[in-house]
Amino acid sequence: MVNEANEIRQLILDSAEKIFSSECDKKLLDAAEQGHLAEALFGTLVENGFHQLGAAGSGTDAADLYAFLQVCGRFAVPLPMAGVLLGNQWAGPIDGITSIGAFADDQIVGAPWARDATRVIGVEESTGLLKVADQFEVVAHNVSVASELQNTVRAQDYQTLEIQPHPFAQMALANVNLIAGCLQAQLDLGILFATQRSQFGRTISKFQAIQHSLAVVAAEVAAAKRAADAAVDALGDDRFVSEVAASKARVGEAVTCVAEQVHQVHGAMGFTHEHQLHHFSRRSWAWRDEWGNEFYWQQRLGQKLCDLGADNVWDFIATQS
Amino acid sequence: MLEFDRVSLDDETQSLRAEVRAFLKDNEQHFETPNSDFSTGHDAEFSQKLAQSGWVGMTWPKQYGGSERSFFERYVVTEEVLAAGAPVSAHWIADRQTGPLLLRFGSEQQRETYLPRITRGEAFFSIGMSEPDTGSDLASVRTTATLEGDTYRINGTKIWTTDAHRNHFIICLVRTEAASDNRHAGLSQIIVDLKNDPGVQVRPIANMAGGEDFNEVVFEDAIVPADRIVGEPGNGWQQVTSELSYERSGPERFLSSFRVFVELVRLVGANPAPHEAAAIGRIASHIMTMRRMSISVAGMLEAGKDVAVEAALVKELGNSFEKVIPEIARLAAPSGAGSERFQKTYAETLLLSPSFTLRGGTREILRGVIARGLGLR
Repeated sequence: MVNEANEIRQLILDSAEKIFSSECDKKLLDAAEQGHLAEALFGTLVENGFHQLGAAGSGTDAADLYAFLQVCGRFAVPLPMAGVLLGNQWAGPIDGITSIGAFADDQIVGAPWARDATRVIGVEESTGLLKVADQFEVVAHNVSVASELQNTVRAQDYQTLEIQPHPFAQMALANVNLIAGCLQAQLDLGILFATQRSQFGRTISKFQAIQHSLAVVAAEVAAAKRAADAAVDALGDDRFVSEVAASKARVGEAVTCVAEQVHQVHGAMGFTHEHQLHHFSRRSWAWRDEWGNEFYWQQRLGQKLCDLGADNVWDFIATQS
Repeated sequence: MLEFDRVSLDDETQSLRAEVRAFLKDNEQHFETPNSDFSTGHDAEFSQKLAQSGWVGMTWPKQYGGSERSFFERYVVTEEVLAAGAPVSAHWIADRQTGPLLLRFGSEQQRETYLPRITRGEAFFSIGMSEPDTGSDLASVRTTATLEGDTYRINGTKIWTTDAHRNHFIICLVRTEAASDNRHAGLSQIIVDLKNDPGVQVRPIANMAGGEDFNEVVFEDAIVPADRIVGEPGNGWQQVTSELSYERSGPERFLSSFRVFVELVRLVGANPAPHEAAAIGRIASHIMTMRRMSISVAGMLEAGKDVAVEAALVKELGNSFEKVIPEIARLAAPSGAGSERFQKTYAETLLLSPSFTLRGGTREILRGVIARGLGLR
């Protein structure tokens, strides 16, 4: 049973990798960062049913959805896939783009690619309510530090939905999985560069200073991946929000280390626009601040532990699912 | 690429947890000042009580006094005793390292001689690897063991030997053949009886934290029976390196500072300031993640996988963060009246912390192991 589910997941991930390897290249990323929606790639994903991952009746589950998001992060896929997948789960499946942002003052802010979306959803953090609209007006265009289009939108009418677990935590979980994949890509680029670039008559991978930098990066990447998987495994558990908190806080810290070290390994080349590294480093920098940064989640987790009291913190840690 | 399986503990191991906690509660008198550092706190009586509960050598075959329990069950016992801050250093090495070594490489006679005594908490072991001129470069050991009929004559010095002045035995890495071009050849492991073998002198070395836990052990024509060699003579290097996966990934590699965290939570109370809550959440986020990685390695060990690189990675992450915990806690902790208990725990741990990234393989050696796993060397 478990093996069968794993095999299905592997098939999904392999086919996603195949699509991204051939269609999600530097040219596409550059175009997306100029504001051009990756329409053809989105079409391919819909054709292959990826937008339905995790939806009822799709034969796939939430774990498949988040595993797919790790692959999206690994290829820096310039589409708002977290919104597409969670939007289809929450508000019913559509073939267009669902853009999800934060709901505040009757507007939805930080909604990626809302300009090109069929539906927008605002997450109200304080209540956990969703505000859904398919008629809306774009009132502002911004770009993230990753040059990702982010809109502020306003609708006349919002449909209100209530879902469990808290949608803010679910978005944070999606974000954690994107980051985990994105950090893996940065490690891979660092190893590739270090084993190809020669200085002083040998590849720089032969220098202990470089080896140790990349060893530290590998440890952070492994921690990020394990933290992301752990929070996914807590879906449906009453510890879900705390596990997301631990995971988002930990993964956010990993970003700082990985991006810094991998850039250092790449030298000036990684600082050029021509090199692909910045597509990954900038995304991880942007994502760590979305859906609650480290401080936000550390504080929530810390408050939870203070509520439990000093003599119960070990029990909390040791009874992880 | 490095993979950490999504392993979690099953219900059976969780029920064992309650038993261990009840035991610890009954034996609180053994650790009035809890300390989660595994090499602090040598209490033979406590170790014997733990052994009587069947929790020393618990994964070993019943014929040698073990209980044939799983790696996961052992994991639960070890993390519970560490988190509580119980004194575990007396039996720790024998349970973690000596037993698995003898089960894998020891002779039948050695297993029958030592394992039942370890599981009763009556035989404690030390590790004899480092020497005055041999630190990270372990293959450079110079202590010699020369076969003379049915005995070995040992000459040389081992150093940083934790608890050699308290424990019964030491397993030494020695040169049984002269050094050759193959640096890893000609090494062997041999058991020395610290209390009874002639020619062995143990001199405690005070550490900077005010403790006398580690030692210099000098062998001057020490004579031990030839049947104390563990495994094949000359196979020492392979044996020593295979011990390391067990040594490097357990909960003792990220819990050494745990009591500082507990005392920080106690000190800030139920209504923390935002930065205090964040400090606590930050520490917890790291511990929760490392614990899962460490359990993943336990699962992969149980499944018989080679986890040398993953184990090194857990140790690297864990030891580094063990040193960060006192730093985070120090800045977040309110000072003044009521902070004495926190300050005491903090100071004890801070003074021990330089050893965290040294023992069991330095940070530099571990990063080298990881780099090799990444294909960089």
